[in-house]
Amino acid sequence: MSKSTKERAQAKRIVQEQLARERRRTVTLWTTVGVVAVLVIAGFIGWAAVASQDKDTSGKLTVPTAAVDDGTAFARGSGPVIIDIYEDFMCPACHQFETGAGPTLTQLVDAGKVTVRYHPIAILDRFSSTEYSTRSAGAAAAAAQGGKFLEYHDVLYANQPPENSAGLDDAKLIELGKSVGLTDQAFADAIKNKTYTAWAAKVTDTASARGVTGTPTVMVAGKKLDNPTPEALSAAVGAAGA
Amino acid sequence: MEIGQTARAMQVWPWISTVARLGLAAVWLIAGGLKVGDLAASGRAVNAYQIFPYEIAKVIGAAQPFLEIALGLLLLAGLAVRLSAGISAALLVIFIAGIVSAWVRGLQIDCGCFSTGGALGAGAEPAYGWDIARDLGFLVLAGILLWRPRTRFSIDGILMGDDQ
Repeated sequence: MSKSTKERAQAKRIVQEQLARERRRTVTLWTTVGVVAVLVIAGFIGWAAVASQDKDTSGKLTVPTAAVDDGTAFARGSGPVIIDIYEDFMCPACHQFETGAGPTLTQLVDAGKVTVRYHPIAILDRFSSTEYSTRSAGAAAAAAQGGKFLEYHDVLYANQPPENSAGLDDAKLIELGKSVGLTDQAFADAIKNKTYTAWAAKVTDTASARGVTGTPTVMVAGKKLDNPTPEALSAAVGAAGA
Repeated sequence: MEIGQTARAMQVWPWISTVARLGLAAVWLIAGGLKVGDLAASGRAVNAYQIFPYEIAKVIGAAQPFLEIALGLLLLAGLAVRLSAGISAALLVIFIAGIVSAWVRGLQIDCGCFSTGGALGAGAEPAYGWDIARDLGFLVLAGILLWRPRTRFSIDGILMGDDQ
């Protein structure tokens, strides 16, 4: 009697263990399926978000008529050697480069040796609370449309806001334009209406596709200068045959 | 004595695993959260590694923050912990390999681990060693969960009918 009770209890336990194991298997299977589905969907959401962003920007894209190089840059001078400068108006190193190499660039342009192509890109939006990189690049495009790109470019650097600040607001961007002779309403409207925001994204995208990973990136005749000092710039232009 | 120690270890491990689970969840949620606001920048960060063509880097960069957040939420809830930990470990190994390859090739980039990095300012030095060490630390968390996936306060526990 006592033995059979024990056997029955044991049999019961074995059945229970089997049921528990089966339950675990089912749970594991379905949670696995669920997790994989969740991850696939999450990845797809990201892909869809970027695809729709691209569609939005391509619809709104306004390219400044003065832009060269596939509509991504503004040219200065007409010499044979091409210097490409990728800059972000929020970037302190770009300001340093402009201050240091500006006179050399002017000299090379005046001597008819080079064509400088300025690509105002926006990769430092995270360093301002107002996406200053994008807004200043767009404002520079508006200035180019008004025929004053270089003047505006210089005044933006002269008034560069520090990183991790709010950046200059639209009113200040318009005011700086006035100080270099951009007094017409079209310039102010372009800034207020964000006319060139999609363009700034396109220029940044193009630069990235070309392997630009930081600013300033300076290329002389298509070759990147690792340390763009005025001397290195002159030497590279010389080597490129001008 | 032997049995007593084993029993105590059996009680302690679920708590250690719980800490590992929540820690790894925080890692993914923060990493993904910092990137999800600017998907274009995330794509550029992937492109900075110069491993994939730009169009593919863009898609990876866009999908990645959402994947990271999804993994973070799964771990936070404690659903399929062993699987989530396994996928986490695989991702971390890929990230570490990416950083090592950037280091070996002498690229001057921000790893983009907890930012939409990619670009480094002139004069800024990349901190590849630290980035790798940190990722290895996260890999240890994932390893603990692979080995001992049973944790407290988890959906797994409820589904499996464990004593909580």
